[in-house]
Amino acid sequence: MIRARTARLLVWLLALVPVLLLLLGFGASDLASPAAALNALGRLTGVAGLALLLLAAALSARVPGFDQPFGGLTKLWHTHHLLGAWSLVLLLLHPVLLAMAAGAHGIDVAFATLFPPLSDIATWSGWVALILMMVFLAPSFHFFGRPDYERWKFIHRLAGPAVILALVHTFYFSRTMPGWADVAVWSAFAALAVGAVTWRFVFSRRIGRLNYRVKAVNEPANNVVELVLEPKKRLLNYQAGNFVYMAPFDRKLDDGYGEEHPYTLSSSPDEDTLRMAVKDLGDASRAIQGIRVGSKVTVEGPYGRFFKSPDQIQTPELWVAGGIGITPFLARMRHLTGRGEKADAHLIFCVQDEARALFLDELQSLADALPGCHLHMHYFYQEGPVSQEYLETACPDLTEREIYICGPTPLNHLIQRHARAAGVPLSRIHTEEFELL
Amino acid sequence: MKKLTYTLFVAFWAVVLTVAGLYAMDHKEAAKSNGDELPAYTWEEIAKHDSLDSCWKVIDGKVYDFTDYIPDHPTPPSVMERWCGKESSEAMRTKGYGRDHSPAAWAMIDDYLVGTVAKD
Repeated sequence: MIRARTARLLVWLLALVPVLLLLLGFGASDLASPAAALNALGRLTGVAGLALLLLAAALSARVPGFDQPFGGLTKLWHTHHLLGAWSLVLLLLHPVLLAMAAGAHGIDVAFATLFPPLSDIATWSGWVALILMMVFLAPSFHFFGRPDYERWKFIHRLAGPAVILALVHTFYFSRTMPGWADVAVWSAFAALAVGAVTWRFVFSRRIGRLNYRVKAVNEPANNVVELVLEPKKRLLNYQAGNFVYMAPFDRKLDDGYGEEHPYTLSSSPDEDTLRMAVKDLGDASRAIQGIRVGSKVTVEGPYGRFFKSPDQIQTPELWVAGGIGITPFLARMRHLTGRGEKADAHLIFCVQDEARALFLDELQSLADALPGCHLHMHYFYQEGPVSQEYLETACPDLTEREIYICGPTPLNHLIQRHARAAGVPLSRIHTEEFELL
Repeated sequence: MKKLTYTLFVAFWAVVLTVAGLYAMDHKEAAKSNGDELPAYTWEEIAKHDSLDSCWKVIDGKVYDFTDYIPDHPTPPSVMERWCGKESSEAMRTKGYGRDHSPAAWAMIDDYLVGTVAKD
């Protein structure tokens, strides 16, 4: 499998193709005066911005398996975010630079460049696309505060029309690149983007989602439930540490009917049911606490690439979990126990207090059953944030281990800092982030 | 990244509103020459300037000498050369594929105005 860094680098290199083709068509006249240089830069930002926008769209499809080369869906989405952010930056500069270049011939020309007659379809489709981008990216960048997930998702769908109008804009102007390259390159990029969105909204609903039935609802802590799901037909194929998008279809739910949300699987892939722990974190996950046994859910996935060797422990490992972030480790321990594997691993489980120590009894018995496995409980109310000393005392040989972290962002960053300070190379630190926004 | 995008988002609207504001305040009638004080040329004379060495074009009844501009034009010189010494209004409006030149281009041609077409 190619390395995640290589896969990400390839995406950025692909974005450079239209830019290089545009540069090939540049000549001395494009630098003849400050105005000409600004104009050239204006066109360059437009082409680069559109290329990044289309690649961001192409990466948004969430095709199961497609996230693997990128190191899992959360890492793939990190690339998607960066592509989108740089696309917005460049596309905001694009009209401004062109207007400044036109300003050399007077303010009226600059004005007419930004606001031509309404019959100028090319310019106005570009304008609408850019304004749609500002609208659908404003919540992503928290321009006006933090949005809730469903509203963000709804607004983000404006990306579809924005991409189409941006394509109208560029095809209308054409000649952004020499001859054949213009149509060929933009068509290829457009096909990637449109194909991805078509998968998302047409095919994934029909063939990507598997039907399951809620078989049981367990309560490992007072604001967490563990759903046990049995397949109606096909069983999901996955690895320990993967997550899925689950949508509940229980009419009696207070909220979130048919809404999909990401949840980590806590079951072993060898079991014939799926298990997932759901913490009350928002309206939809709160409603799920009361989901009825027998109701239907759909499951799409698997996503993520957390453990390097999910089925056994090859190099000694250190696991650090925070709260509900215990789920991938629980899945792994259940899986390894079921297979009768050994587990040279330390698990540091960080929770606020005893009442929030979910699955504690089961974790302790799994740790006892797995030769070489040690469980360390860390209570924030007693010990404060995890210190470097705590980490090195619990796990003296941490520099020899692969380190896996799953939990809230502050804990994640704290453990990474300690591990780096202790001399663990970055390539040995693996994290799974929960916050997808 | 959030800060950078937000800063640019604000800067973008600041620039756009500045351009619109300046335009609104500076909306004087442009004192453009309509060529009346310049010489009038017959089509016979204009047709002599049909090469890259001397390239005159007629756009909306006015005569322009684009000889010095051709090296600066974004397309290869052959594209503009085809219209040297000829009526070129249509070419200016469609670039040959139905798309008008930008307002900036229309403003620039005033710098190359040399006369009008003589009435028969």
